[in-house]
Amino acid sequence: MDDMTSSSRAGWISGITVTVVLFVLPVFLGQLGKTGEYWIWVSTEMIIMALFAMSLNLILGFGGMVSFGHAAFFGVGAYTVALLMKKADFPLYLALTAAPLVAAITAAIVGWFCVRLLGLYFSILTLAFGQLLFMIVFQWYTFTGGDDGLHGVPRPEILGPINYYWLCLILFVICFLIIRMIVNSSFGLSIKTIRENMERAKFIGINVRRYQLLNFIIAGAFAGLAGGMLCELNRFAQTEFLHWSKSAEPILASLVGGIYSLAGPAIGSSILIFLKIFLQQVHRSMVEVWAIVLGVLLLVVVLFAPQGLVGLYQNIFKKSQS
Amino acid sequence: MSDAILSIENLSKSFEGNQVFNNISFSVEPGELSAIIGPNGAGKTTLFNLITGALVPDEGKIIFEGRNIVGMEPFDIVRLGMARAFQRTNIFPRMTVLENVVVTIITRLKANLSFVKPWTSSSQIRRRAFEILESVGLADKANQQSGILAHGNQKRLDIGVALALEPKLLLLDEPTAGMSPEERWETVELVKELWNRMKITMVYIEHDMDIVFGISQKVRVLCYKTLLAEGPPHEISANQQVIEAYLGEEV
Repeated sequence: MDDMTSSSRAGWISGITVTVVLFVLPVFLGQLGKTGEYWIWVSTEMIIMALFAMSLNLILGFGGMVSFGHAAFFGVGAYTVALLMKKADFPLYLALTAAPLVAAITAAIVGWFCVRLLGLYFSILTLAFGQLLFMIVFQWYTFTGGDDGLHGVPRPEILGPINYYWLCLILFVICFLIIRMIVNSSFGLSIKTIRENMERAKFIGINVRRYQLLNFIIAGAFAGLAGGMLCELNRFAQTEFLHWSKSAEPILASLVGGIYSLAGPAIGSSILIFLKIFLQQVHRSMVEVWAIVLGVLLLVVVLFAPQGLVGLYQNIFKKSQS
Repeated sequence: MSDAILSIENLSKSFEGNQVFNNISFSVEPGELSAIIGPNGAGKTTLFNLITGALVPDEGKIIFEGRNIVGMEPFDIVRLGMARAFQRTNIFPRMTVLENVVVTIITRLKANLSFVKPWTSSSQIRRRAFEILESVGLADKANQQSGILAHGNQKRLDIGVALALEPKLLLLDEPTAGMSPEERWETVELVKELWNRMKITMVYIEHDMDIVFGISQKVRVLCYKTLLAEGPPHEISANQQVIEAYLGEEV
């Protein structure tokens, strides 16, 4: 019991420290002129993608369901914001409220079919639905702008780069706390139970499909919010947001960071984005090397730290204590 | 007949043309501690799979407390008060011993859809979980990861998880499988003690005839796709058919 409270206290302390640092970060970056502005933009994207990764990990790490179509809900959130703000003149706060709702409804429909299948078949069906939604957005030119995407999403005047960064950070912290609450709740324990042993879960009376579907919807809703936030950051929505390659990003981020930890996927996502941008900054040609760097990094993580960087850190920390 | 807790009526099951059961019927009386024996491949585990809803019979009825449960989902049957422990250890390996039992209690209480409060916050559930762990002798291992427990302790936890459902009928599939001789008798004593104390109807599958004849009130023999014999241990061990078909000369 003592052990639990002390580790949760350590969690609160590091969480608050990181949040404070992230809050003051743009103030310093703001002093650096153009470069600083660029890094504020990058940091905002990192926060958004961290939320996207955490949303996936609700089903991947905690639920044991490998989805290759999670970007569909991210993209639906982005297009919801773009369409509502551009075509219906919705204010940002309403559009950002609608994004997770529309994404959740989409996830409910897609998930209803997908949770009927197990393992690889589940994964393939999520991929199929993801690509189906991608094709709809891609083809429906009059509504979605097709492969041009939707550009010129309005931005409220008070939301300059720094303010928008702060808005995203606040939303991220709220979502982080909600996801943490869900993971530690009876529902969270139930979905971990399903991950651990689906057959046995049925024999303790858990309606496996129902909880998997609920978890899928919740994950979709958070992904939708992240998509909406990225749309407003870029001020456009494009088909690439729904593409399967976008679904791979949070999977890789979760693997690097650690799928059995709460913050792991967020950390993994931030590290991957930082490395990519950093390489680009070192030299333009490094963009082409990125795939190799990513491949090597994944190889190292899978072979030497299968629980991700957070798992690695915990192992070292535990060893140094004993 | 009518007050039986479980009645199997004219049950038949085939797998791709191979018949496993041909029209078997029997009843389990409330409060009995009985064994199911039979040679390998006689379908003992298949029978449990049919009763618990993991498999659907081709024909026949399975009446649990006056209700035909054929075609119901396993999780619905569990909720009627039938629990099962498995032959091969079947727990939630990357969760602690305590979590294994707690999630079972939460499910029995239908409290899975609580999203806000941490599961650790209910002292009532925690207390009940420790009572159950106490009764299977695992209370001191509550915070250990269950997947790294010794085999015997995992089997005990498996039984503990089943007990956490507060079942009326408990089906134990070879509770002593893979155990050392000392562990076997410890587990048998545990089962007998739980049966005495909790008044749960228990049906178990077992290979060890010393155990079967030592603690059962009733023994059922599955052989040749059918229920070969049914009765108290002394009758079964004297039954000529059973001796010829299964037990051999030594008993």
